[in-house]
Amino acid sequence: MNEHPITLHVMDDLRRSRLTVFFRGLLVLPHFIWLYLWAIVVYIVALLNWLVALVIGRPAKPFQRFIAAWLRYATTVFAYVFLIANPFPGFTGEPGSYPIELEVPTTPEKQNRLKTFFRVLLVYPALIVGAVLMYATYFVTMLAWWVALITGRMPRGFRDLGANAIRYLMQIYAYLLLVTGTYPCSSPYVGISLGAPVVEGAPAKKASAKK
Amino acid sequence: MTTNSRRLLGLLVFGALAGGWLYAAHALWQTSVPSNLKLPHVDMSSLVSASQLHRAQHFSLILDLFSLAGLLLPLVVLALYAKWGHRFIGESAAGPIGTGMLLAMLGLAILWMATLPSNIAELWWLRRYGIEKIGYTEWVIGTWYGLGAEFLGICLTILIVMGFARLLKDRWWLAGAPVFVGIALLVTFVQPYMSGLAPMNDHYALVQAEKRLAKEEGVGNIPLKVENVGTQTTAPNAEAMGLGPSRRIALWDTMLDGRFSEPQLEFVVAHELAHHKHKDLWKGLGWYALFAFPIAYLIARVTKRRGGMAVPLAVPLFLFVWVAFPMVTLPIDNAFSRRLEAAADWEALQATRDPNGGKELFVSFVRTTNENPNPPAWDSILFGNHPTEAQRIAMIEAWQQRNGG
Repeated sequence: MNEHPITLHVMDDLRRSRLTVFFRGLLVLPHFIWLYLWAIVVYIVALLNWLVALVIGRPAKPFQRFIAAWLRYATTVFAYVFLIANPFPGFTGEPGSYPIELEVPTTPEKQNRLKTFFRVLLVYPALIVGAVLMYATYFVTMLAWWVALITGRMPRGFRDLGANAIRYLMQIYAYLLLVTGTYPCSSPYVGISLGAPVVEGAPAKKASAKK
Repeated sequence: MTTNSRRLLGLLVFGALAGGWLYAAHALWQTSVPSNLKLPHVDMSSLVSASQLHRAQHFSLILDLFSLAGLLLPLVVLALYAKWGHRFIGESAAGPIGTGMLLAMLGLAILWMATLPSNIAELWWLRRYGIEKIGYTEWVIGTWYGLGAEFLGICLTILIVMGFARLLKDRWWLAGAPVFVGIALLVTFVQPYMSGLAPMNDHYALVQAEKRLAKEEGVGNIPLKVENVGTQTTAPNAEAMGLGPSRRIALWDTMLDGRFSEPQLEFVVAHELAHHKHKDLWKGLGWYALFAFPIAYLIARVTKRRGGMAVPLAVPLFLFVWVAFPMVTLPIDNAFSRRLEAAADWEALQATRDPNGGKELFVSFVRTTNENPNPPAWDSILFGNHPTEAQRIAMIEAWQQRNGG
């Protein structure tokens, strides 16, 4: 069993541009601002979605698609800042545009009303695990920054650890924002697909097979 | 409409626009300093000691070399980036505007790296003369954060320019230039609220003098504030800030550390009030607007050869023109600024009627800033946005002659 509705596809070739690595923390600033502004709307939409899900037993489709696009976008921004991918991400969260891509269901699924009502509390255990994982990722990114700056490549282990942290974080968000009723899975083998490296310069494509 | 009549109409429109431009420039160029004012020669060696003069000349000469490097290096770096910057397109998975933002940010990043050594050397020089107090590490970190702010600024610029270019093609500049003027207006308005100005609690006499001078100059109630920069620099400075309800006068706390007497401070305050009286911040915005349209048009023309501003390929060239054009207009911008400053000095003299206070102030500036009171002409043309201290003192003497002093 290694499937989860929220799956991260990694098609990165481990090559890193030293110039963009050096300035990564600043280059991501416009993305942080856009992510934050978009997040404000997402949280309003999520609140409405929560009410809809309580009434009809599943989230509303337009809300689901809107939140899914934000989750895809947030994934690319986190991947960029944590050096998990090399290219500068786009601002729209469009599928198939980045070597690190989050597969998110855009069709809402039936969800248990009781679990929906208590969703904010239910997510707490996962949040604690996610926080620990993110702290580890911050530390690893600091090491990886030096390695990538010197060698022009990202060590695979560092990359995969960061990818897993992001995958778990996005599963938490997706659960919290009602995109899925499936609880985040902390196993590093579930909900992640480490595909073949993309050809340099070619547009990213989804991995064809899951592990 | 035939080709000839279309050409004639085009010429007429261009003539009307050029005439309007010249009229506006002429109106902004006017000054309240009497046109027949003859400035007497001032012998600075009678006011400042020979060793101080020598020290100021030496300090300013080297500082000018750093300033020249600060002008030329960006031109060279961005010219090279204009040629080869498009190679970084492959580092982006974003759309055209996002890629344009990345290219613009990388251009500024490379410029930051290229100018870092000369900027550090300049800091060393300023520290050596006790002008700057900030440490090297703190300074580098500060410029790093500053670069972040520049990144956000250039991203907004690219968003506006490329956004309009995708909508309006080559005519983006017609919509882009007013937006930039609007942003400049907004920034000027909010600047006093963003500068961390503190109330002036410990200088009751100066606050009262400011109220009296404001009444004298007829500018209404303008709060006098303090800007705390004393941990970073010893340089004295004051600013007129804001528009309408946000108008403020900010004195750097370095002016209040005992090196300047009460009459000198009153002259400074009168000078800054004069900027508000003459609506110099509005004039500055008008001047910016005058050049915003030609620069935007020039960028649109120049970048056409790279496919226009709708495509990221043109962004490195855009960056070069964006930085180079203001350097070309620097001498005329400085001349405009000097006229505003001279008019504010004149107004301060009229309001305080204290030429000695003014004269002592400008002599104190030589002592505290180490600036050459009588720099070579090229220095004033390239870097002088205020009249030289010698010219300012000469104006005071001319005022005294007119007023029987």
